[in-house]
Amino acid sequence: MEMATRSDGSPECSRAALVSMQDISKSFGENRVLRGISFDVYPGEVHALLGGNGAGKSTLMKVLMGVYAADAGRIFLNGKDISGESVQEHLAQGIAMIFQELSLLPNLTVAQNLFLGREPRKPGWRIDSKRLNEEARALIEQYRFGLKAHDRVGTLGFAQRQMVEILKAISRGAKVLVMDEPTSSLSLREETQLFKIIEELQSRGLGIVYISHRMAEVFRLAQRISIIKDGQVIGPLDTTRTSMPEVASLMSTQEADVAETVRPASRTIDRSQPVLRVEGLRTKRKLDGLTFEIASGEVLGVCGLVGSGRSTLAKALFGLLDDVAGRFIIDGKPLKIGNPAASIAAGIGFVPEDRRLEGLVLSLGLSRNVTMAKLAARIGPSWLSNGWGESDFAQFRQKLNINCRRASQLVAELSGGNQQKVVFAKWLATRPRLLILDEPTNGVDVNAKAEMRAAIRAATAQGIAVLLISSELDELVMAADRVILMVDGHITRELSELGSEADLHTLLQVDIAAVRDAGQPQDSAI
Amino acid sequence: MTMKTGSGSQDDRHSFGSAAIARLLLDNITYVVFAAVTVFFMAVAPNFASFGTAEAILRVTALVSIMAVGMSFVIICAEIDLSVGSVASWSGMLVAMLLEAGVPVQVAPIIALLGGGGIGLLTGLLVTKLHIPSFLVTLGMLSVFSGLSLTVTTTMPVPIIDADFADVLWNGDLIGVPAPIWWTLITVLVGFYLLHYTVFGRRVFAVGGGVTAARFSGIKTDQTKIWAFVLSGMTASLAGMMLAARSSAGNPSLGQGLELDVIAAVIIGGTSLFGGYGSILGAVVGAVFIGTLGFGLLVMGLSSSIQEVIKGIIIIAAVALNRRR
Repeated sequence: MEMATRSDGSPECSRAALVSMQDISKSFGENRVLRGISFDVYPGEVHALLGGNGAGKSTLMKVLMGVYAADAGRIFLNGKDISGESVQEHLAQGIAMIFQELSLLPNLTVAQNLFLGREPRKPGWRIDSKRLNEEARALIEQYRFGLKAHDRVGTLGFAQRQMVEILKAISRGAKVLVMDEPTSSLSLREETQLFKIIEELQSRGLGIVYISHRMAEVFRLAQRISIIKDGQVIGPLDTTRTSMPEVASLMSTQEADVAETVRPASRTIDRSQPVLRVEGLRTKRKLDGLTFEIASGEVLGVCGLVGSGRSTLAKALFGLLDDVAGRFIIDGKPLKIGNPAASIAAGIGFVPEDRRLEGLVLSLGLSRNVTMAKLAARIGPSWLSNGWGESDFAQFRQKLNINCRRASQLVAELSGGNQQKVVFAKWLATRPRLLILDEPTNGVDVNAKAEMRAAIRAATAQGIAVLLISSELDELVMAADRVILMVDGHITRELSELGSEADLHTLLQVDIAAVRDAGQPQDSAI
Repeated sequence: MTMKTGSGSQDDRHSFGSAAIARLLLDNITYVVFAAVTVFFMAVAPNFASFGTAEAILRVTALVSIMAVGMSFVIICAEIDLSVGSVASWSGMLVAMLLEAGVPVQVAPIIALLGGGGIGLLTGLLVTKLHIPSFLVTLGMLSVFSGLSLTVTTTMPVPIIDADFADVLWNGDLIGVPAPIWWTLITVLVGFYLLHYTVFGRRVFAVGGGVTAARFSGIKTDQTKIWAFVLSGMTASLAGMMLAARSSAGNPSLGQGLELDVIAAVIIGGTSLFGGYGSILGAVVGAVFIGTLGFGLLVMGLSSSIQEVIKGIIIIAAVALNRRR
């Protein structure tokens, strides 16, 4: 098993690597997750780590963090062998990870979080709050982050919490930062801010491991790219000497998939009898009089920033909110608002944004998760054999290509993409008329994205109407038949002719600017 | 396993086999500890190993087993019910007073049972609609119903003279099996069926495993929780009536402290206090475990105060060994 193509001509080879993992192998039982992987990061470098779901990225990073001990191979930090040491020691040596699920205490202030567990003391075990706040302020100042030391973390947005997390890591002497999908919950503006922070950290000589499924930002930030596939490493590749298609094809197991998922050019959609008609949908805080229709077999895309009300729209349609006014008509019949069971009975399925919290019951097996919505809608017998639902699962396992060992396997053990397929299967099992998809490809790899798009197309071919909410504009351009633009709870524009991703981006920015400008004088008038 | 060839295979297989056994034992550590304790008593305590002992243990365990069935639903829903002991006392009092007032013996227990369910319903509504943690609601209920049981007769017990009542619930037997064991069997079978073979049972697991995901799947999470509390109230009520039958009187302090044994039984049986995992059979095994422990220590002649200490330590040890890794 000789693994090929490790480029020796890396531009930084004159300098010493900050951290270097050499021939790391790790197995779980019979499953060989990592097979002799080498990976290094130089000071001031962003080294992107790509790979499909379940390829071994997280395992490799857990080995780097010291959560797992490698079966074979060594880790060097600044030339010193740190293999086999604990998480605490790795942290103390300067390897820190920024988790997707942030590890901050929401009830404490920014300053208290930054110095948690090592607060400046006064005699008598008292905390020196004054010095604590001063030091926090100095730190924020030094890195020019837009934070206030005395703000409670619970009141901050996701982007600011992420900054606190980063600052906490640096202030503890981190030299290597691992960022796992850092932009997955950020809006466009926050993303730009994060990129500036990353550049600032680079200029101070930190090494950054950047894990992301979003190709564009990888190419914008990273100097080198490594791809993990089937437990082995491809690369590192020099970003300036490769291209997105090349990287995508290296990651892909079936190269044809990506190209094939472009929206079929000519589709005739009969709009005379819409599956869903929404009239004057409003909620107390977010939405302001939305009216739209979706036809059978049509994909309606919703384009807007985080906080524009797009997820509220999804939840309102599915009946999860109780402050909703307006009329929903499904297949000509009015829908009872604010009752998920009624929504399911009327044929609505909802793939929510946060699949681990909202989509899946992690303590249950795969077939139990797949049959959960069916259960809620009371489709099926009330006396259940132990194997009930396994045939459902077997069918979708094959249809959606869910990669797993058996139907009773815990859903928590699957990779993100496969988990998302399970959520999708849960709703297809109810034979829906309308599927609401809120960020269906968030945090899944290129292949799984292509598979999700194929699944969406298969659903529309059966006449299912789809409401597709996505932050990834290329996905909207590829998958949607029509797109509505949402800004601050309004629909600003409806596009039936979709241009390129860039066009969509421009239009959204124009609308945001227009709404903000229009909003300004009104606010001051009140 | 397919890769193992050559001279090492014998050793590998052997070590794999013993590892598998060790794993099996670890996974079912409660049963192992249970078996060890039983064997210990059989070896040490005089006359412990007999049918008489088994029957006596199942008899005293009946109450905790029955209440543990209802409690399992509540705990798997990631809630807790601290009120079962005082609901049992209250139901015993209620049924005794109804019988005393001349309500027919066929009707009075049903009223008491529905009353127990009603208390569960109220608890469930308070927990789900007012969003008060079940720990607090049921702590309040514990206080309310133990106080009410004492108040209705100014702390006096109410005698039950109806022999049928005592026979059916406690004293009688059918084909050689005593009544309390029958009631345990029936409750366990109903509970087992509900939890493991019905839509309701699956919803209970879904609600306890991830209440948000369950809600987002259209499951009526509030309704599921309320039903779990109703079941707990009804099993507590049944146990309370059996207690009254045993002592031929409704006594306001009969059920005092039972909630702790019941919760311990459910947790020892492998149900997670955080919800989402659990089984009815485990809860029954837990109840029998606690009963065996009490009985064995009694037979060994230890004072009841020391029994409590040893019981507590073994319960903590069993749960510590059983915690999910």
